[in-house]
Amino acid sequence: MVCSLGIEGSANKIGIGIIRDGEVLANVRKTYITPPGEGFLPKETAKHHRDQIIGLVKAALKEAKIDSHELDVICYTKGPGMAPPLMVGAIVARTLSLLWEKPLLGVNHCIGHIEMGRQITNAKNPIVLYVSGGNTQVIAYSNKRYRIFGETIDIAVGNCLDRFARIIKLSNDPSPGYNIEQLAKEGKQFVKLPYVVKGMDVSFSGLLSHIEEIADPSKRRNKRKKAEDAEEPEYTKADLCYSLQETIFAMLVEITERAMAHCESNEVLIVGGVGCNERLQEMMRIMCEERGGKLFATDERYCIDNGLMIAHAGAEMFKSGTRMDFEDSFVTQRYRTDEVLVTWRDD
Amino acid sequence: MPFEDPSTTPETTNTEATLKIPFESVRHAEIAYRVLKVDEEPRRNFVKKEIVLKEATLEVHFVANQVKNLRTAITSFFENLLLCRETINNFDLENARTLTGSNTA
Repeated sequence: MVCSLGIEGSANKIGIGIIRDGEVLANVRKTYITPPGEGFLPKETAKHHRDQIIGLVKAALKEAKIDSHELDVICYTKGPGMAPPLMVGAIVARTLSLLWEKPLLGVNHCIGHIEMGRQITNAKNPIVLYVSGGNTQVIAYSNKRYRIFGETIDIAVGNCLDRFARIIKLSNDPSPGYNIEQLAKEGKQFVKLPYVVKGMDVSFSGLLSHIEEIADPSKRRNKRKKAEDAEEPEYTKADLCYSLQETIFAMLVEITERAMAHCESNEVLIVGGVGCNERLQEMMRIMCEERGGKLFATDERYCIDNGLMIAHAGAEMFKSGTRMDFEDSFVTQRYRTDEVLVTWRDD
Repeated sequence: MPFEDPSTTPETTNTEATLKIPFESVRHAEIAYRVLKVDEEPRRNFVKKEIVLKEATLEVHFVANQVKNLRTAITSFFENLLLCRETINNFDLENARTLTGSNTA
């Protein structure tokens, strides 16, 4: 029996989760929401987390109906992410670890997503598409590592969506991606956008500049000025949201399908904040079914950053014997998925 | 909050500051000491930070090349210290009954 408390705060969500032997006891979360047109900055996000974290730890313990004695390990996100918000989680985790005399374990954020997805969906050995505001990776497990088959060569897919939402001044509540998804349902015209897949990798920054020029012609650079009399079709925000989603999700489905073919796998697991987009899940499901495979996905409770995934991945690590010296409980902005030795899987 | 004036030394180009932070007990001071000692100053900050534990008091000494960098280092140190203290006050099992709420420092 391992009972684990996890603290996640690598981006604009701060979450605490408690899990006991795979049984979810608590999963609480607060999101730092900025006004439309504005993104979240490290300092302000860290302040939000500092103001919320104590209350969240209390709420999680209350929801789980457990006492701190019953915990076996305290887990926190070690990276990757923004340093100031990561520090908030680490400081509280360290303090709790010493106060309650429990071991402390730093968890890789990406590993947290993968293990949470596997736990919830019961997928055994899937190709993992990890899509969020900070990461875009196609991952396959092999020989004790989660290996990155393909990834973005510039910005993450969620970052592309977030920034587009800012350009057209969509609300960040509950999340920019959700609002794009809703608006896209009203889209009627498809705007052709750059489709950038390079082998197993994808790129979104050129696509974002392109759609930004369409959305806001005043941003257009002179070098690509069109003739004054050239008729330009009028596109609505909904058309642009729809076209953006279709294009970038098609790119993701393509690289995921290639990874499946390469690994001869017929399972796909989507994790990360963008993973709760139902249009992405639908497109991926069609591709999987055409190949005779199966899609696994979770809803926003487990897809979007949460403390539970850190608690769960930490519990798996703890059970397999992973320990960490207290002095090593720092945070790191860069921490690749394949740096972690997967001690808890035997396949 | 006990905060000693930064003792600047005009002979050198370095700016220095020493903070002395008392805690209610040696145990709390020790916890804060271990929690705050883990993080090194960012390399580009050009600040040296040394934390010493003296009984129930933390002594932190900063040496910076510029006043601006010193301020940054001290500000971020205080943020972490206050958060650590708030956590202790809220979750220490030994004094859970005597201390109330989120009142810190």
